[in-house]
Amino acid sequence: MNTLYLAFAYLRYHWARSLVLVIAAALILFVPVATQILLSTSQTALIARGEATPLLLGSRGSQLDLTMAALYFSNERPDPIAMREVDTIWDSNLAVPIPLHTAFSSGGFRIVGTSLDYFDFRDLTFSDGRGLSLLGDAVIGAAVADALGKGVGDTLVSSPENLFDLDGVYPLEMPIVGVLEATNTPDDQAIFVDIKTAWVIQGIGHGHEDVVTAADIAAGSEALANASVVQFQRITPENIESFHFHGSQGDFPATAVIVVPADTRSATILKGRYLDSENPSQLIEPASVIQGLVDRIFRIKSLLDVVTAIVAVAALAAVGLAVFLSYRLRAKEIATAVKLGARRGMVLRLLAAETVTLLFISGCIAAIGAALVARNADTWVGWLLSLGA
Amino acid sequence: MHRYIERVVLAVFGLLMATVVVAQDRPKVVAVNYPLQYFAERLLGGSAEVVFPVPDGVDPSFWRPSISDISMIQSADLILLNGAGFATWVDRVTLPRSRLVNTTAAIKDQFIVTESITHSHGDGGEHSHEGLASYVWLDPTLAMAQAEAIAEAIKARNLAPPDEVEDRLQQLRKELEALDQQAKSAFSDVQNAALIATHPRYQYFGRRYGLEISSLEWEAGATPNDAQIAELQMLAQETAAQVLIWEAEPPVEAIEAVESLGLQSVIFPTLVREPADATYLSSFEQSVGTLSEAIQMRQ
Repeated sequence: MNTLYLAFAYLRYHWARSLVLVIAAALILFVPVATQILLSTSQTALIARGEATPLLLGSRGSQLDLTMAALYFSNERPDPIAMREVDTIWDSNLAVPIPLHTAFSSGGFRIVGTSLDYFDFRDLTFSDGRGLSLLGDAVIGAAVADALGKGVGDTLVSSPENLFDLDGVYPLEMPIVGVLEATNTPDDQAIFVDIKTAWVIQGIGHGHEDVVTAADIAAGSEALANASVVQFQRITPENIESFHFHGSQGDFPATAVIVVPADTRSATILKGRYLDSENPSQLIEPASVIQGLVDRIFRIKSLLDVVTAIVAVAALAAVGLAVFLSYRLRAKEIATAVKLGARRGMVLRLLAAETVTLLFISGCIAAIGAALVARNADTWVGWLLSLGA
Repeated sequence: MHRYIERVVLAVFGLLMATVVVAQDRPKVVAVNYPLQYFAERLLGGSAEVVFPVPDGVDPSFWRPSISDISMIQSADLILLNGAGFATWVDRVTLPRSRLVNTTAAIKDQFIVTESITHSHGDGGEHSHEGLASYVWLDPTLAMAQAEAIAEAIKARNLAPPDEVEDRLQQLRKELEALDQQAKSAFSDVQNAALIATHPRYQYFGRRYGLEISSLEWEAGATPNDAQIAELQMLAQETAAQVLIWEAEPPVEAIEAVESLGLQSVIFPTLVREPADATYLSSFEQSVGTLSEAIQMRQ
């Protein structure tokens, strides 16, 4: 007990040196453990999202871009796919297609235009408000609500597709009607709207003041308004009736389509239909794309493990050297203790107690840090994945 | 005696509970107009509750649902749409695609284009809005296609035993064919007869039975003003029409004003809403009879 008291008193007296040693040792212990926790959580999260999405339909091109855009709402821009492909899947009666339109953003968060089936498919529930009902309604993920400090009753404005796109895409103000429960998935980072609202942002659908009067209709005359007709940038109960779409809905774009087959047989039949490399559309299994990505990450991870081990050995050697040098510096102090009657064993016990105390404190700090990481790993990984996207 | 009362009370309670459970378990089908409601009810035979959500006095074509109406519609097991530009509110409302059925998807090539409005926005190019005649069910052959689409959707979603649905469809098909035959023979002697309708609702009906129906834009059931009467007079002179079709019972003074122009009034409900004391089939049959008689009398 006296030994520990003396050791602690010594460490406290030399607090600056002790603090440096404790932090260095704690970091050596903490970093590999935290990395391991985050990587394994990332692996689980990545694979889980992929496995929860049976099939993905999109334009032929990079499968990774398509997967990242549809599952993680990333900035990748796969070529759009026409909505008639969605109708083709419906008509086949083999699967439920869920279109996704992820071309726009607001406040740094992706606007995801989709159908109500998406909410059932991902099992998303509301912490506040209601689901999408009217054109222009927006439902935000939990992280969006936290980051923007917005909730039901507030509004969001869509950002232009790019700075130079001043004519093509009009910003649309959208009322927030619901906030989703946190899921620690990319859905937390998304702003959900009806895909028709996404088409309004894109300019395919719009509302404007009347260009034809009841008298024109009664007269059966063709009305022609060639002046600039003012378009509405906010959908309100007063102007919602004027919103309409141009062209055939089959030609309207979607970024990707989640395809939920009725059974394994249906999935196989559908996959067979998209095997032809001449087909401009592709049907992929996101799980295998994600697995490929994860395998690649983990090949890099083994390299990282080696680097971490080398750095840890070097750091441990440095700490050991520091401790050894401190003993050398204390040679006179130890000699005095021996002259005062302390036996060699007593001196060794004193030095050992100091080292054990240092390591214990470092271990405790590292353990607390690791527990903190483990507790928040899902959230941080969700954030990291969306940040990476 | 006491035991007997106890048993009766238990039986009534059990029956009530069973009714509640059955009511809760019954799937819900929403239809955007009466013909779709009628066909769905005929095909389901009570297996599901069929709801027509538009309140009385509101034109289903221009109805705007409230948020609670939308929630109710979103919760339905099947949502029957008419297509052909009918009930444009569906374009501005979020509905679950997996439960939507466009009953005219298979007959798009038979749509009648009614009007075209051209305009432009800013520097964007001009574009046109195509108007479509919506009242497809006034042609029984197209109504049959709608009923077939409903039957297919009911079977696909297992809302009623498929064999029973098929049997009911066969029966409905026979009745619609009979109705079509009856109308064909009623109008066979009056081909290309010129008629005027107070509202442009009868395009498919006119096309099916070879009738030339010109249209006004009068409010259903309202008395026309002097300008409207003048417009009617001009149209009657242009087309030589002698019969005016009303979609709803007009005021007596309206009928008198029309008669003073030498036109006979015929009420032909468009069936967009359920007619009083009649069904789709009986009302259509009666209207065909009245109209053909009026045309023959005038000829």
